[in-house]
Amino acid sequence: MQFAEQAKKIYNKLVWTWNPGSEKESGDAIVKNILLHWFPNKISKGSLSWNYSFYLGTVSFVLFSILTVTGMILMFLYVPSVERAYSSVKDIEFVVAFGWLLRSVHRISAHLMVAVVFLHMVRVFLTGAYKNGTSVGSNRPVNWIVGIVLLLSTLLLSFTGYLLPWDQLAYWAITVGTNIASSAPVVGEKIRFFLLGGNTINQNALIRFYVLHVFFLPVLVLFLFLYHMWRIRKDGGLAIADHESLNQKPEKALPVKSKTYSLLGITNGTSVHVQTTMVNEEENTVSSVPHLIRRLWLVTLATTAATILLAILFTAPLEEAANPSVTPNPAKAPWYFLWLQEIVTDTTLKLGFITINGAFIGGIVLPTLLIALAVWWPYRDPSGTGSAGVWFSSERKKQNYAFIGICVVIIIFTVIGTFLRGPYWNFYWPWESWPTMPVKF
Amino acid sequence: MNHKNMKQKLEFVIKDKTIVSIVSIIFFIVTGYIVFNYMTPEWKMYQNEFQSVVEEKLGVDRAATVRGGLQQVYVKDLGVTDRCITCHMGMEWKGMENTENPYRSHPKEILVKHPISKFGCTPCHGGQGYATEMQSAHGFAPFWEEPLLGKELAEFYVVSNKKAMMQMNCNTCHRYQKETNGMDVINNAKQIINNKGCRACHIVNGRGGTVGPDLTYEGEKSAEQFNYERIKGFASMFTWHVTHFKNPKELVPETVMPSFGFSSSDAQSLALLVMSWKKAKLPIEYIPGNNFRDIPSSEESEKEERMKNGPGAFFVQRRCFVCHSVSSLGVEAAAQIGPDLALAVEDVQSRFGRTLDDFLMKPTGTMDVVLSTMIPLTKEERLEAIGKLRQAYELKKKERQSVVKNK
Repeated sequence: MQFAEQAKKIYNKLVWTWNPGSEKESGDAIVKNILLHWFPNKISKGSLSWNYSFYLGTVSFVLFSILTVTGMILMFLYVPSVERAYSSVKDIEFVVAFGWLLRSVHRISAHLMVAVVFLHMVRVFLTGAYKNGTSVGSNRPVNWIVGIVLLLSTLLLSFTGYLLPWDQLAYWAITVGTNIASSAPVVGEKIRFFLLGGNTINQNALIRFYVLHVFFLPVLVLFLFLYHMWRIRKDGGLAIADHESLNQKPEKALPVKSKTYSLLGITNGTSVHVQTTMVNEEENTVSSVPHLIRRLWLVTLATTAATILLAILFTAPLEEAANPSVTPNPAKAPWYFLWLQEIVTDTTLKLGFITINGAFIGGIVLPTLLIALAVWWPYRDPSGTGSAGVWFSSERKKQNYAFIGICVVIIIFTVIGTFLRGPYWNFYWPWESWPTMPVKF
Repeated sequence: MNHKNMKQKLEFVIKDKTIVSIVSIIFFIVTGYIVFNYMTPEWKMYQNEFQSVVEEKLGVDRAATVRGGLQQVYVKDLGVTDRCITCHMGMEWKGMENTENPYRSHPKEILVKHPISKFGCTPCHGGQGYATEMQSAHGFAPFWEEPLLGKELAEFYVVSNKKAMMQMNCNTCHRYQKETNGMDVINNAKQIINNKGCRACHIVNGRGGTVGPDLTYEGEKSAEQFNYERIKGFASMFTWHVTHFKNPKELVPETVMPSFGFSSSDAQSLALLVMSWKKAKLPIEYIPGNNFRDIPSSEESEKEERMKNGPGAFFVQRRCFVCHSVSSLGVEAAAQIGPDLALAVEDVQSRFGRTLDDFLMKPTGTMDVVLSTMIPLTKEERLEAIGKLRQAYELKKKERQSVVKNK
């Protein structure tokens, strides 16, 4: 008995750096803990529904987790050196147990993550979910901006990963990508030099991209994600919860009926109110455990299964080893930048004496404008609080159409760049075959 | 919580649980498929069969010594990792000479000087050493440029000698040898290079003329660097070279390279030879005789010396000899395209109806092109040429007379 007590004391000494002075203090410690406050105790049925959020944020995070797990294993197998990178990927493909699957899952999840994060943003815009609703103290525009940074980080993560196999696809996609960056006025060349760690894509560029890909960017995404999730709670949950409360008669809830009921059992003093508008609790909410948890588990399972299935159906290609003297025809940027590459070609014009630099317009001006517009828009959006958390609110008709317009243009240009541009960036309809590229034998 | 509520909640719970079960089953099936695939790779089938073949031929005891699992040859010096022996297990086994592939043992003689441990497989045979599945290992897969240089490829290109293709790779190490045992196709091509005087226009291994492109590292070029517009059929670098050797003007109308009328097999040999001229980074012990240079034979250098310093030196230095012989001055054309210039005095008169002097000052036709682009001559040089050609004609006439007298 005494031994057990002693053991517990030692254990407490090792794991607790701080001994709460009162029960309130210990309660506060839990309330303030970011990790314990991703999920509410109770969740409204609207927030839980499939057709409001499509769980796209959850899917993004599941994909990020899959990428982290497969990526960590790949780090043991991949050698980030110009001499060995390609052959180490060949070894992953051919001799490492399940290596082909790891690489294929990693690649598919990366592509899916770019797409799903984008769709998540589309969902948030079309439901006006970046708008503050009725709940007190919410600041959803900030979370929208965090989301934009997360989208850009996702693109960068994928882009840096693109170079690592050191095959022709990697080498020339990065060539195209960094050449677009270099078209920025004055600092363009400097930016390219900074990205590549030199004037050519070589060992310096590879190690730069590698370190960014396996450490800095994932850590950035992880922290931003934690903050993103925490903010949802601080902003009063999903925007649909605000909307639901509008349609309900507010009932004066007794202070005892707090969501953090379980905590009250150990705290004295005022109950802990997380800023969530919840009325008619009994009818419209369910407990997060097990209902939300079950949903999340379901989404996780389905995403993982779908990813693996897709990875089997579309195995990751590995082209010829990188060869700076042979440009594949056509040389394309990663697919999510192809709408920019397409715009670059379409805006490269010669009008008399004036040459319009397409790379500058399509590669620098346009994306910068779009990002700036996205950051600014939540503050400009004139619609009322009633249109927060509703799909296609009639009050936001015009801006929804404009937004859909922009997205459709981006998607169309991406499709053209990906599927309809053949050798020499010539246009080919899907039913036209591309000229066959020569081979050695 | 009232009763109605309970029921509603239960409904979506049942739905969720059903979906979880369905997805789990899919997950289970997919996992099963992956594990099954992992347990039954293609090479395992070959290894099992090899074991039974050994058992049948050499007995149970020997069969028990067959090693299982992925096998590879790693040659550090060449940077080669070849997993071919995972399926081709009988390579160094005695008593497997008459078995079918992939179990047959490798011909012995060649392995004496080319042990597998020092050479691997792909440096000679081509193919993709990394791969562990037949299709990709034999290199007939997308994004792999070095196919197995074997029977299939020879049949595809209608090369009569089924072992011809591989000789291209032999020549990576043997390129500076004039003749190598067992490399008849490449030997033939090397002989053509000397007989037809390719060096008159092209630099090969650091020696030769500059009329045509330097061919020393022609094999380094990639397929994309050629123009296939005029190629009928399959566009490959090999086809390009073969077609080009047969008739250069068919692919490059503006070329000055003459058609030598090579047969298909000669053109194929030459294509393999030029494609073998790569910048190989080889440890010195892999080069036969440690010889890194293409040394001309004494005969060759003697002839070269004679032409360069003899009475016809002018025509050699100005590279007229690429197309024209000047027989009476001891100049021998590299590629007999133009007429013998020893007879230019009467030849020009009969062909163009003009005197030699007049023609050389204001040439027409091919000579106009040649003299205005490739061999620019000053007025003094033209006069010198006319003088030398008259001299050559005089000598030729004397020659003729002596021939007549002797008769």
